[in-house]
Amino acid sequence: MTIVNSVGLHARPASRIAQTASQYQSEITLQHGSYEANGKSIMGLLGLAAGQGAEVVIRTSGPDEAAALAALEELFESGFGET
Amino acid sequence: MKDDTTAPNRVVETRPIKGISADQLLTEKGPELGLDPLTSCLKGRLPITVSDVNRPGLCLAGFRENFLYERIQILGETEVLFLNTLTEESRRQAISRLLDYDLPAIIVTKSLTVPPYLLAVAEEKGTPVFRTPLSTTPFIHQLTSYLTDVFAPRAMVHGSLVDVYGVGLLITGKSGIGKSECALDLVERGHRLVADDMVIITRGQKGLLLGTSNERLKYHMEIRGIGIIDVRSMFGIRAIRPRKQIDVEIVLKEWGTDVEYDRLGLDEEMRAILGVKVPVVTIPIVPGKNITVVAEVVALNHLLKTHGVHSAAQLNDSLIQGMKNDREWLGGARDASD
Repeated sequence: MTIVNSVGLHARPASRIAQTASQYQSEITLQHGSYEANGKSIMGLLGLAAGQGAEVVIRTSGPDEAAALAALEELFESGFGET
Repeated sequence: MKDDTTAPNRVVETRPIKGISADQLLTEKGPELGLDPLTSCLKGRLPITVSDVNRPGLCLAGFRENFLYERIQILGETEVLFLNTLTEESRRQAISRLLDYDLPAIIVTKSLTVPPYLLAVAEEKGTPVFRTPLSTTPFIHQLTSYLTDVFAPRAMVHGSLVDVYGVGLLITGKSGIGKSECALDLVERGHRLVADDMVIITRGQKGLLLGTSNERLKYHMEIRGIGIIDVRSMFGIRAIRPRKQIDVEIVLKEWGTDVEYDRLGLDEEMRAILGVKVPVVTIPIVPGKNITVVAEVVALNHLLKTHGVHSAAQLNDSLIQGMKNDREWLGGARDASD
């Protein structure tokens, strides 16, 4: 997924990702370059330091992996509700 | 801003005190203000209903328009001197002009001697007259500050108030969730208990909220499984504090998936008590979580914020700046390779 909002993955988007991810039982990881973070951990997501245009790989595994992935994809596409 | 997360009747505003009688003033503040009754009647026809006082010089001189009879009348040096310069007859007229009104009380300052006629009329009318050795201006300051407190808006809150590192933490939440246990834990760690179970809050001057305990229940706590304990006897004088300004409210909540907890701390939730906004922190209760340490951190974070350090905002700002720099650098590298 590409980060589309202008400021990048800062605290508010990180909080929205973690909130969305926490609704699913699946293991969720996000990867930016060599850095990998647990999708349910805000501090981890902040550590990705993914600015606008950055490519982030989302991996989900577990009973509801497809639904989790779809929800996160939608969140990324919306630019986390930001411009 | 989020919705209220506790019961709406969390704060019970009590009816403000409408008026006190002069003898109440005498019993509560008499010794401190050096009040000495000069008349046998101690209850005026009119209760004291306002915190301001009046100096009735103009009324004595004959100008009675706008005369503020509902206030306590203060006779200082000027008023008494003026009465003494008059002939007996005009002095009597001047005194009658003042005592025509039902007054809540007359207070003479600086231990001055008042004309006997004034006392006689006051006695007859049932207007209490007190005397104090204090000078007029300091006396007025003390009296109005006391009366302002008496008439201040009041509320009762079901919760505990603890002074943690000088920050007044009001701990609220449902019955049985562990407010008292949290307060006890804080006391055990060296903090000071102000009130448990019921906090009486008054809105003071400058819009500060002051919390105190019910006078009778002071420094006592009910701990489930033990019963009532006396915190002062058990932990000593360092464990208590008679009153404290309320700085932050901590709401203890059972962990539920329907409740969203603040995970960033970028936005401050505020809630009003007696019209004064207080920052609110909602803490989920989960078995094995140490609420006391979290409460201490809430207090320390509040202190940091009052000193201009907002950790969440600062981390986010530096992160955003970092991502921006990375992009510029990458962009620059791309341009160079073109």
